[in-house]
Amino acid sequence: MGILENKARARLFYKYLSTVYDQVNPFIWNEEMRTEALSLLEFPADEEPMVLDVGCGTGFGTEGLLEHVDTVYALDQSEHQLEKAYAKLGKRGPVRFHRGDAERLPFATNTFDIIWSSGSIEYWPDPVRALREFRRVLVPGGQVLVVGPNTPENLVAKTLADAMMLFYDEYEADRMFKTAGFEEVKHKFMGPNYDPDIAITTIARAPE
Amino acid sequence: MNESLLEILRCPLDKAELTLEDAEYDGDEIVSGTLVCTECGERYPIEDGIPNLLPPDMREGTPA
Repeated sequence: MGILENKARARLFYKYLSTVYDQVNPFIWNEEMRTEALSLLEFPADEEPMVLDVGCGTGFGTEGLLEHVDTVYALDQSEHQLEKAYAKLGKRGPVRFHRGDAERLPFATNTFDIIWSSGSIEYWPDPVRALREFRRVLVPGGQVLVVGPNTPENLVAKTLADAMMLFYDEYEADRMFKTAGFEEVKHKFMGPNYDPDIAITTIARAPE
Repeated sequence: MNESLLEILRCPLDKAELTLEDAEYDGDEIVSGTLVCTECGERYPIEDGIPNLLPPDMREGTPA
């Protein structure tokens, strides 16, 4: 249980985090890792796919998705984070922005071909509930990709980390995605060479 | 937001369809208005073209 499981505190945390986020973020989640994660997705080639970025934050993942598709639907709870994304990508450009909650998505069932979420799961109070919502709004056979922080091995770091946010390993990720009803659940560790397994990327498919 | 978005937007609480009220347009874009749930009646504002579909307990000023 972390302090961010209180949603009001999460909002306050984001308000301050957004002022430094893109300066801090490249240390744990950089363009190389983003490219590697994007390569795990299969973008449907025949038609313009419906792609959703949950917890888009300042738009770092969204920018990567736009290298593969013309339009991205993006959602975040924090207007302070979104302001940064608007500044980069425009309010009425290729991204359709929404404010909303990852655990209670404001979208119709069977809408998206791909759901991407990077650097967001660690702040969700109930990750399985959010993943069930992902499965609901994905089309049958649709792909989900979630990047989150791998559990640090150092005990002191782990204790500090757990007090701040959710960290998980591949076993916990496996359990969460399968409990939420996903199939073909696979994990990949990513990170810069000095810390090659700092992030865990999970891909899975909604059942056909 | 574009009006065609209504096809995929739903109430975050009960996933019912939304209707658009008091819409103001700038070309094809809806710049302000209110999305109203056809089931529970909850109202969601469109603020400078961005639909705010946060559940009521997560909106600004709401005690957790």
